[in-house]
Amino acid sequence: MSQHEDDLAFAGAARQAAFMREKRLSPVELVTAYLDRIERLDKTLRAFITVCGERALSEAKRAEAEAAAGQWRGPLHGIPFAVKDQLDTAGILTTSGSALLRDNVPPEDSTVVARLKSAGGILIGKLNLTEFALGGTIRFPYGQPRNPWHPDHDPGGSSSGSGIAAAAALCSVTLGEDTGGSVRSPASYCGAVGLRPTWGRVSRHGCFPAAWSMDQVGPLTRTVEDAALVLGVIAGHDPSDPTTSRSAVPDYRAALAAGVKGKRIGVITELVDGADTQAEVRGAVREAARGLATLGATVEDISLPLISHSGGVFMALCDSEAAGRHKPWLATRASEYDTGTRRRLLAAGLIPAAALHQAARARSLIREQILGALAKLDLLLAPTSPHPAPAIAFHTAPVTSKEEAGRRFFGRRSYTTPASLAGVPAISVPCGFTRNNLPIGLQIIGRPLGESAVLGAAGAWERAAGLSMRPPSHQ
Amino acid sequence: MADLGPDDIRRLAASLALPLEGDDSTEIAHRLNAFLDALASLSTLPLDRVEPWPTTPEGAA
Repeated sequence: MSQHEDDLAFAGAARQAAFMREKRLSPVELVTAYLDRIERLDKTLRAFITVCGERALSEAKRAEAEAAAGQWRGPLHGIPFAVKDQLDTAGILTTSGSALLRDNVPPEDSTVVARLKSAGGILIGKLNLTEFALGGTIRFPYGQPRNPWHPDHDPGGSSSGSGIAAAAALCSVTLGEDTGGSVRSPASYCGAVGLRPTWGRVSRHGCFPAAWSMDQVGPLTRTVEDAALVLGVIAGHDPSDPTTSRSAVPDYRAALAAGVKGKRIGVITELVDGADTQAEVRGAVREAARGLATLGATVEDISLPLISHSGGVFMALCDSEAAGRHKPWLATRASEYDTGTRRRLLAAGLIPAAALHQAARARSLIREQILGALAKLDLLLAPTSPHPAPAIAFHTAPVTSKEEAGRRFFGRRSYTTPASLAGVPAISVPCGFTRNNLPIGLQIIGRPLGESAVLGAAGAWERAAGLSMRPPSHQ
Repeated sequence: MADLGPDDIRRLAASLALPLEGDDSTEIAHRLNAFLDALASLSTLPLDRVEPWPTTPEGAA
């Protein structure tokens, strides 16, 4: 592939859309470029479960004809997108990453897919994920997804393919779903931008549930501007999802111009300075905090001690919700689950109900502490993960003690689940690399429905940092 | 509370008609014991001061 074609593939969707309006790029050219990259790279990366090549090319030709006639469907006209295979797509296999749904072909699109199509987007494929978006999959039924920066390392989950496809430029933009960090973690590990919107900002209709009380669909992209662009398309009330907000959807791209000047930002000390946080991650996040101060923000440390409980509280609530959803299948089709998923669900199904009710009250306390901090501060800052992408083998090793189970399943999740438990928006944006050239993610958390401020800060940091986020082309 | 063992897990699962595979019971015991420890630590919090409100985008705003 030529340098020009690489530049085209890695260009943000907002730039690609502008090129199309200027007749410098055609939808067919762009779809073809991505199909070529998928063919070349995805044998190793395994981001995709289904590639909709012929269908995407056909739609690209139609989009090209419409553009030639001056008919523009919307801000994503001719832009190829791919979505996590947890999201329904009419007439296209939708597996939720599980062998149990190997033949599932939904009759209609999820609301978010329908909105991307209405805005002119072209569905190019369905993306790999941990089974049922739960994390901890040992054997992926549709291929082991791999980190584009180092194929022996984990791409993060559960929106694994969404992170890979965004970072490795296998399409223009992607959608993931974030329950406890499933958009932010792959963004952090793969060096992409991943936004979890406020719970209720985006419709969950047609999204296979992980935990209904925290599930939220969000974009994974190469730039903050693209995250703003996609959110503007998918956000808003949906009669099919009664939990969606009726608040007006702001112009998120326009809000990027506000940057971070005058914002008050708190650095969560338990997460930045905690014993689990690796030194390289701590250094990169502290450096980013100094950078945001240089850009005009007021930055201070803040302690949120209840965050130490968030991993366990989240896992108890999320997994018990999921165990309830899966109980009929666990009773009759248990052997079809991946071993890791099955054991996770069965363990959660045995948690005493009284303990779960205590966890629900603890969630209220954690939320109260976070919202209290956000009443005084505009934004909170933390690492997305305490460490860079671990080796894939880390997740496949057997669990040998309760202490290990706690460290492995609760510890890391204390970094992303606070925003999930509080229902507030949070973004992961690249903030550096380790010595081994693995990306580090900076997490910016905002007030309820405060996506504009979150995106503004992330965009300001992205522009100031100027990081080059093209993974090595070793695949 | 003493940790649960694989035999406890097998009995609990059987009472709920949940089938186990192979050596599921050993790992499930580790996972469930981790849950019980994490949730036991919540007893130090003032849980009675709050109610388990659901999250709503506007309500939280």
